[in-house]
Amino acid sequence: MHEAPIIELGGIPFDLSIITMLIVSCLVVFLIAKLATRNLSIENPGKLQNFMEWVIEFVQNQIAGTMDLKKGKQFITLGVTLIMFIFVSNMLGLPFGIVFGYEHVEDATIFGQPIVSVVDAFNTAAAAGTAHPHIEVAFWKSPTADVSVTMALAALVFVMVHFLGIKNNAKGYFKHYLEPYPVFLPINLIEQFSSLLTHGMRLYGNIFAGEVLISVILKLAAVNVVGMIAAIPLMMVWQGFSIFVGAIQAFVFMILAMVYISQKIESHEEH
Amino acid sequence: MQFVWTSTVITLIAFIILYLLLNRYAIGPLMSMMEKRRDLVLSQLNEAAATREEASAYVEQQKEALQQARKEAYDIIEQSRQTSGKQADQMIASAKEDAVRLKDEALRDIESEKNKAMAALRSEVGRVSVQIASKLIEKEIDEKSNEGLVDQYLKDVGTKS
Repeated sequence: MHEAPIIELGGIPFDLSIITMLIVSCLVVFLIAKLATRNLSIENPGKLQNFMEWVIEFVQNQIAGTMDLKKGKQFITLGVTLIMFIFVSNMLGLPFGIVFGYEHVEDATIFGQPIVSVVDAFNTAAAAGTAHPHIEVAFWKSPTADVSVTMALAALVFVMVHFLGIKNNAKGYFKHYLEPYPVFLPINLIEQFSSLLTHGMRLYGNIFAGEVLISVILKLAAVNVVGMIAAIPLMMVWQGFSIFVGAIQAFVFMILAMVYISQKIESHEEH
Repeated sequence: MQFVWTSTVITLIAFIILYLLLNRYAIGPLMSMMEKRRDLVLSQLNEAAATREEASAYVEQQKEALQQARKEAYDIIEQSRQTSGKQADQMIASAKEDAVRLKDEALRDIESEKNKAMAALRSEVGRVSVQIASKLIEKEIDEKSNEGLVDQYLKDVGTKS
């Protein structure tokens, strides 16, 4: 399994590949959006503008399906940002990867800082008694294949949802935890936190599994000629499926965020 | 699986910055443009409806005007027909009148001519009878010539008339 290139600056760990990939995804998303809206035209929209409008309308329709569009309008930008950011992130890891291999602990440095995770891995290998450890570090991968990224997005939605719930109707929000009976309080709490966990973990699991399988197929290709021949169709099929999964997961993440928001701003109105 | 908390923080910051940038530079303007387009389409639809209404009102007006014109034309024809009939009657009447007048005039002329002729005849007859009488008186003296006188007279009458 590939290690993450983690360095420590003043005792604080930084995952360099995640930082790089986040910047790349944000740049790609912003460039697409900016190019699409470069020459805005009411009567004669260009191809990219049409695509962007289609994305916005798609998100708008999904929001309209979960809540009143008058209240949902303010979340359109959030939905579009979520779906585009996650989709681009999911796609980034597919076409290629950048992997560095390290044979010695002394080599595993970047900007003069030792890569903590690699050092740890060497130590573990030494403890296990491996003679010539070979540790690989992945620099280019989907940022969404990292649990700390997906959980950040899920936590953002979680905090926003509960903030909106309290802001909109504090009484109804807290009362909701005691329904239908006060006994259900722990169950309701677990429900809220499990939705946070599943929201982030679902995305992470799907994309991470996709990348794991890609590296497994690559390992198969590295075994011998037969493996390489067998790997080509497998890789094609799995890449195609990963694009599909990436699109679906981006959509699911966005729609779930909207469903959570709608639950908090709609259901308490009647109470 | 490693959970690096700085990644979470950086993701949050990156995502919020991306959200703000998109909102400011891409999606915000695009959505306001879409809103504008919706307004434009709506106003065009309204305009089209108004134009259609106007057009139908105009057609109605035209139809009415046409109806009026047709009626007027009919009235004019009717009127001219009436006038022409009246005129013909008048002409016939005046012709009749003329005829009667001419006939009367002719009758009067005939009468006056007849009277004139009668008067002329009467005076002639008077003169002739005076002549006859004078001749008779002349011949009274001459009994013998009486017969010849009558004969002459008769001859005179025969030549004169």
